[in-house]
Amino acid sequence: MTQTRRSTSAGVLHAPASPPHLRRGSLMRQRTIWAYVFVAAPLVGLLVFFLGPIVFSGWVSLHDWNMITPVADMAWAGLDNYIYLLTQDTVFPKALLNTFLFAIGGVGSNVVLGLGFALLLNGKIRGKTLWRVIYFLPVMTAPLALGVIFGFMFNRNYGVVNNLLVALSIPRQPFLGHPSQALLVVIIIAVYQYVGYYIVIYLAGLQGIPQDYYDAASVDGANKWQSFRHITLPLLRPVTLFVVVTNTIGALQVFDLVFATTNGGPANSTITVVLHMYNTAFKFSRMGRASAMAFILFAIILTITILQLRFLRDRTNE
Amino acid sequence: MSRKVLTVFVLTIAALVLGITSAAAQDPIKLTVLTHWGEERLLAAQQAMFDEYMAANPGVTIELQTVPFNDLLTKIVTGRTAGTNPDIYHLYNLWLPDFIGANGMLAAPPQEIVDEIVANSPQAVIDGITVNDQIWGYPTEVNTYLLLYNKRLLKEAGYDNPPTTWDELKEIAAAITKKDETGAVTQVGYGVLPGWDSGIVHPWASYLLSNGGEYLNADHTATAFNSEQGLETLQLYVDLLENGGMDMSVAGWDFPNGKVGMTVMANWWRATLQASEAIDYDTEVGVAPVPVGPSGESSATLSYNWLWSVDTGSPNQEAAWKLIQWMNTPRAEGEGSPMGNFLVNELGAIPSLIPDQEAFAEDLGDFFLSAYVESTKTARPEPVVAGGQEVKTKLQTEIEAVLNGLQDPALALETAALEGDAVLQEMANQ
Repeated sequence: MTQTRRSTSAGVLHAPASPPHLRRGSLMRQRTIWAYVFVAAPLVGLLVFFLGPIVFSGWVSLHDWNMITPVADMAWAGLDNYIYLLTQDTVFPKALLNTFLFAIGGVGSNVVLGLGFALLLNGKIRGKTLWRVIYFLPVMTAPLALGVIFGFMFNRNYGVVNNLLVALSIPRQPFLGHPSQALLVVIIIAVYQYVGYYIVIYLAGLQGIPQDYYDAASVDGANKWQSFRHITLPLLRPVTLFVVVTNTIGALQVFDLVFATTNGGPANSTITVVLHMYNTAFKFSRMGRASAMAFILFAIILTITILQLRFLRDRTNE
Repeated sequence: MSRKVLTVFVLTIAALVLGITSAAAQDPIKLTVLTHWGEERLLAAQQAMFDEYMAANPGVTIELQTVPFNDLLTKIVTGRTAGTNPDIYHLYNLWLPDFIGANGMLAAPPQEIVDEIVANSPQAVIDGITVNDQIWGYPTEVNTYLLLYNKRLLKEAGYDNPPTTWDELKEIAAAITKKDETGAVTQVGYGVLPGWDSGIVHPWASYLLSNGGEYLNADHTATAFNSEQGLETLQLYVDLLENGGMDMSVAGWDFPNGKVGMTVMANWWRATLQASEAIDYDTEVGVAPVPVGPSGESSATLSYNWLWSVDTGSPNQEAAWKLIQWMNTPRAEGEGSPMGNFLVNELGAIPSLIPDQEAFAEDLGDFFLSAYVESTKTARPEPVVAGGQEVKTKLQTEIEAVLNGLQDPALALETAALEGDAVLQEMANQ
């Protein structure tokens, strides 16, 4: 870089028209400057709109702040907010447990059902495109609308699900109206909404597996289960890794669906970490505590994601 | 620079300067008002009121913003943080402690307005909008809770009159509840209002007061609901569930659908009941005092207020208070104020101001509102205390746990009191 600057400077002083190699140096310098300009734009955006709020949120988590008093007057709390959440808050452990249950149930179901339906849709069936559209439709539906519709469907007294149970001589169930069943119904709604997306992902993965492998296995006498077990599953491992990691991150941050269907009730039986965070911040005006919750959740998600990547990657490399 | 370009430049600058000077000469004031009255009918009525004010005050423009009640607190807080706060808020009085004090959000009203409010409001209303010995705004509607009952369902069950005691309540409720052959509850005797803190706690607190109990202690430093009276009040719900008078699959929200015999609800529900196609408002809806508990002597109810307040960050505080004052001043001797007219004839609410209650006495004489107006005379204001919202939510969670069979009533009250006291203590220490 220094060399280029010297050469250019010499060219300006001693030659009316720069030799080609000096003009090239000038062009390179201009390109470099523009490259920095173009990189700087998103970098500034990232710093201002992403990293900035994260750092600010971390700072807020060490204070008591109701968002009304000026930022400069926030009261220092140290680690009090974290200590309170981990030792005294009675709702936070419940919210954490519900969030984990939601993630485990949702991710597990999405992997099994997503792969299962993808295998069916990848086979020779009629109306393949129509089926794919049908399964993908819920993905495009707003969680709020789904929440309302499922609320009607699972109503104890007139919901279609309970009418079906009665037809099968099974007693009516309260579903969303009872703490023992509400979370399960919320998981079912979530799986219904998102499984279509994972079907598409798995379908893409299945279609990327060369037919030659199956043909070779067939020649060697492998049956369908053996082909699935030893060809399909191992080759879909990167897809499964993607599904598990992205679905887990999304599930641990669930908010809108729970907000729309149960708002955390009855009796906090469906409250999740993000919903508790929202209530803490905007209902009780405790932004410091809510920010601390966000950082604890971030740490949990980061840990789980690292573990998932390490565990599944190691196996991929076996 | 060519002469032509220079001429255009000079003319542009001159036009800008003239525009700014002219604008400054007119001294326009823009006031932003935030409310939660967002229904089309209510929006039109509010706009008409503001149009009238703008016509009489040419230098003032008013922008009306509305969000649903559930989003109002979030909108206020985030708007304040983002610097997009309105000049005037319509607030629930329970939020007051969070919005005042050092570096607070709300501006204290001018003394002239404070004097007007004191002269024209009942003591319960004044208490409801006073925190730290300061009135924080102009009171709008006052809401109380009474027993609503479906006359037709009571009659079909063999009862002509609503219950006056808890024993009668349990008996009538059990008689009303019906199930079909598949086990579906087609109508229920009594319905609570789950999923909403005020919907659960306000009616429960009204029963508690009607049983001789207290919600908070006298100086509002600790909860008082964990008492013998409180336990009896929670046991009332358990008894209703056990005798079939109540079923959690049909909530009080279904009262306008004609599926609930009785519920305890506030007067702002009148418009919903009038609009219902499942029940006839005039012939089927009945209103009665909250039934009295075994430890109580007379019926009691909880009241809460809303008020107009001004943001300390508003550059037009004087104009904002002037608008609020105009809204609450009778147009002429013996007439009601524009706000009173809106509250009574558009919202179906009870105005806090005595002159408005008198001016609209005929409109408030409706069987429904008259009962609520009567109840305001003895109503107990909801304690306005820092952390009050959090205490209410904790109590709601515990009551719902009992209603769903997850928690023993005594343990539920003990837990709510323990956690509520911790919140109140923490807030008091800040």
